[in-house]
Amino acid sequence: MKLSTIGIRRLLRASSGLVILGMLLEIVSLLWFHPLSFVLFAFVAAGLIGLGILVYLVSLVFVAGPSESTGR
Amino acid sequence: MVGILIGQIAFSIVLASIFLFRPSLTSAAGWKIVAFVGLCVLPGLCLIGGMNTHVQRSETTRFCTSCHVMVPYGQSLYIDDANHIPAQHFQNHRVPADMACYSCHADYTIYGPLNDKLRGLKRIYLEYVTTPPAAAAIQIPGGFKNAQCLHCHAGARSFEENPVHSTMMSTLQSNEVSCLGSGCHDTAHDIANLDHLKFWKPLQ
Repeated sequence: MKLSTIGIRRLLRASSGLVILGMLLEIVSLLWFHPLSFVLFAFVAAGLIGLGILVYLVSLVFVAGPSESTGR
Repeated sequence: MVGILIGQIAFSIVLASIFLFRPSLTSAAGWKIVAFVGLCVLPGLCLIGGMNTHVQRSETTRFCTSCHVMVPYGQSLYIDDANHIPAQHFQNHRVPADMACYSCHADYTIYGPLNDKLRGLKRIYLEYVTTPPAAAAIQIPGGFKNAQCLHCHAGARSFEENPVHSTMMSTLQSNEVSCLGSGCHDTAHDIANLDHLKFWKPLQ
């Protein structure tokens, strides 16, 4: 198994984990009617989801890497 | 609305969890599309939906009065006296009852909603990180501006035909004379005397 493949899978796992955690916190913030729920959403949940999306996009760059090196 | 958003989030979690346990699935073309939807498109939509819901919720009376220090201000909306401006507006639905605080305290400028949110975050910081001020000591930065009254009252016949208002319209618009602090409508949230005042009890 290529090192880049392992890297992509790790990145996908990390991305999924961050997105899931962020979304669970978003659900908590939506069910909790309190001024702090806005803070929980805006600074924690949104941050985790955004980071998850970013990690996924980085993994796409890894996918594009080997194709370019083989000349395809 | 919140129920639909939670359903969308739950679906996104299910999709994302597939790639948490089986990331190797993305080697197939079809699963690549599923991964893109589950890890990029749907989470992005959930973020937008969540932000929209939270921003709308932060404009409700219930949200404002859920903060401990704002409770007496919420109680003052039920004072049974027509001279109390916020109570009179709230009880007679001159402002939407479920958005009473925001209707009068919103900054009606282009960056107003953003400024309101930043002010709200500052108050949360004061409440939870530093020593919060006493409820009676809370002041609006720069004072209550006439623009917030005129946002609704300007152009209204009953307001403009009142000779007192019409003679001093320019000074009201320039904020030289305050609607609240000039002795005309000076009873706002009288939270210091809540114990001695009568309260209106709505039927529902």
